[in-house]
Amino acid sequence: MDPSDTVAVVAGKFTARAIRFMGAGLGSNLPGKLARRFAPTVLTKLSEQAKSGVIAVTGTNGKSTTSGLLSSILRAAGLELVHNKQGANLVAGITASLVESASWSGKLSADYCLFETDEAALPLIAKEVKLSQVVVTNLFRDQLDRFGELDTTAKLISKGILENKTLAILNADDPNVSQLVPDCPRMFFGVESIKGREEKPAATTDGMGPNSMELSYCAQCGSETAYTLVFYGQLGHWSCTKCDFKRPVPRIKASDVEVGPTGSTFVLTIDDRQGDAVVPLPGMFNVYNALAAAASAASLGVTIETIRQGLKNYQTLFGRSERISIAGKSVLIQLIKNPAGASQAISAVAADPSARILVAINDNLADGRDISWLWDADFEQLAGHAKKLVVSGQRAEDMAVRMKYAGVDQENIHAESKLDKALDQALDLVQSGETLWILPTYTCLLEMQKILKARGVSLAGT
Amino acid sequence: MDLRIGHLYAHFLNIYGDRGNIITMVQRARWRGITATVQPIGLGEKIDPDYFDFYFIGGGQDKQQQTIAEDLVLRSDDLHKAVGSGAVILSICGGYQLLGHYYQPHEGPQLKGISLLDAHTVAGNRRMIGNVVVKRDDGSTLVGFENHSGKTFLGSSLKALGKATVGNGNNGDDLYEGAVSGTVYGTYLHGSILPKNPHFADELLSQALARRHGAVTLSPLNDAAEDAAHKRALTLPA
Repeated sequence: MDPSDTVAVVAGKFTARAIRFMGAGLGSNLPGKLARRFAPTVLTKLSEQAKSGVIAVTGTNGKSTTSGLLSSILRAAGLELVHNKQGANLVAGITASLVESASWSGKLSADYCLFETDEAALPLIAKEVKLSQVVVTNLFRDQLDRFGELDTTAKLISKGILENKTLAILNADDPNVSQLVPDCPRMFFGVESIKGREEKPAATTDGMGPNSMELSYCAQCGSETAYTLVFYGQLGHWSCTKCDFKRPVPRIKASDVEVGPTGSTFVLTIDDRQGDAVVPLPGMFNVYNALAAAASAASLGVTIETIRQGLKNYQTLFGRSERISIAGKSVLIQLIKNPAGASQAISAVAADPSARILVAINDNLADGRDISWLWDADFEQLAGHAKKLVVSGQRAEDMAVRMKYAGVDQENIHAESKLDKALDQALDLVQSGETLWILPTYTCLLEMQKILKARGVSLAGT
Repeated sequence: MDLRIGHLYAHFLNIYGDRGNIITMVQRARWRGITATVQPIGLGEKIDPDYFDFYFIGGGQDKQQQTIAEDLVLRSDDLHKAVGSGAVILSICGGYQLLGHYYQPHEGPQLKGISLLDAHTVAGNRRMIGNVVVKRDDGSTLVGFENHSGKTFLGSSLKALGKATVGNGNNGDDLYEGAVSGTVYGTYLHGSILPKNPHFADELLSQALARRHGAVTLSPLNDAAEDAAHKRALTLPA
């Protein structure tokens, strides 16, 4: 390290401690920003000390959980990691996580750096860090007011991977992802089958227009894609309607998937090896997160036994399908931020007959200022929901309207914009044996974290 | 009584909550005992100009705009016929631009529109993103969210939906927002627009029903939730 890099590390660490001392929030970017001010190469210098390499996890949904699952697997394999697990996934936040893990003299002791990376930040990270692999979970529409459009996001990710022609670990079932970077080394993961469901052409519309299914076109000829099996959104067994382009055959597969309200089981196949796997998280989307993590670990030579162990022992992250107990009542918190993720969360809620519901919607920049996406999310799965539910946040009134048009009786929708009050009201409704599902947007989640901390509730990752 | 809705290019132009507008039309009809059916109209599909009462065309990504424009021109005659018979069209953002005479991108040739609206659009240098409040001539308001860089200018005979009192509207210069010509409507408002502007949704609904069922008086609905969301949106910053 140059003297300037050491100064940068010291300045960053000092700032991080000061911030903690002042009680500011998690995942702050300030230490990283400051360190970069002192030494623009600090990210390069620190990350290159990782003995075995640097992994980036990107994509629209599931970055945090996939990184968390991968971290659980790699730790089960006895490996030492630096991981930006507090979710600050822009350049400054990633720098901050390295600075905090480094010694005061700027030494980093780790086998791997594991970076959950924002899609737009990936090309910037790839310029400064020699990535050994990039995992891409999926590409849904997310915060269109920030990125502009989905195609833009795909281009940013490709640019980041092409920078060093890095190994790309891609979701075979998402045509928006599996067609990325054909000129780079690629490895695919995908779902083979759901227990008890046969392949058949799937309906792509519910009569009210397409929901969270993203548009996908064949990268080879530009025609629309068709499906024999859809798992959710545009994830499934796809092929081009005109040419011979189709879903690549995955090396890492989940078969006979059974999705339950608290977790899923499936048969995990890695090349010619097989074993039963458990992922202690609800919803099909978390099966994909588990597969992405398994694929990444497998590419690093981790055995299937260790992968299964790591998945099984996973400890949830705050607000990512996290189960907690508040005043003796069972609560599950699941972040929602875009139509595909929200639709998945809603189907998990709809599958739980003991569910009570609190949905909290803010429209700050980090949530997406345009809340149109609420109308693309499949809240219709709650049609006829016969129990009183609570909607909250800056856009509680909009969420109430959304619930009403989804077919929830107006009498059963209670709007309370203040989140702490809404939480109390929702908790009051919870009967014995019921679970309160809290579905907050990002800044509602942060606010909820503060509220719960103040009440002395113990939370993951804090 | 029944309502037939055609959703143009439903699979292509399906971002920004356009689905919310369809859901709103369907529900507000159903709650009044009126059956509503929705049919997606895809690329290359022939339109029977006598069939649908209400057409919806939404916004898409830039890449799709050209594909849609080329297809829409082929359907121009049928859509003009449909409008001639009293069908209502609601167009939003990219769809709105294509109902005008043309869209002029920064580079390359003009995308030809179908001239249902006496308007044209030119590519702008600034993306206009944010909340919008529109004041209409009758004093009512429309609320929504805009996200566009195209600047739309109305011909002298074409009426705007209203004036933007918050946000940019058609082009950010004259503060006009949207356009209305008979039963053809265009606007930049997402949000989705119809759920929290129930008076506007009903205006479209009664016009669309009138095509085959004559003048109808819509029974009033309890719009407390919609009105609360509308009121809240009036207070949002641009």
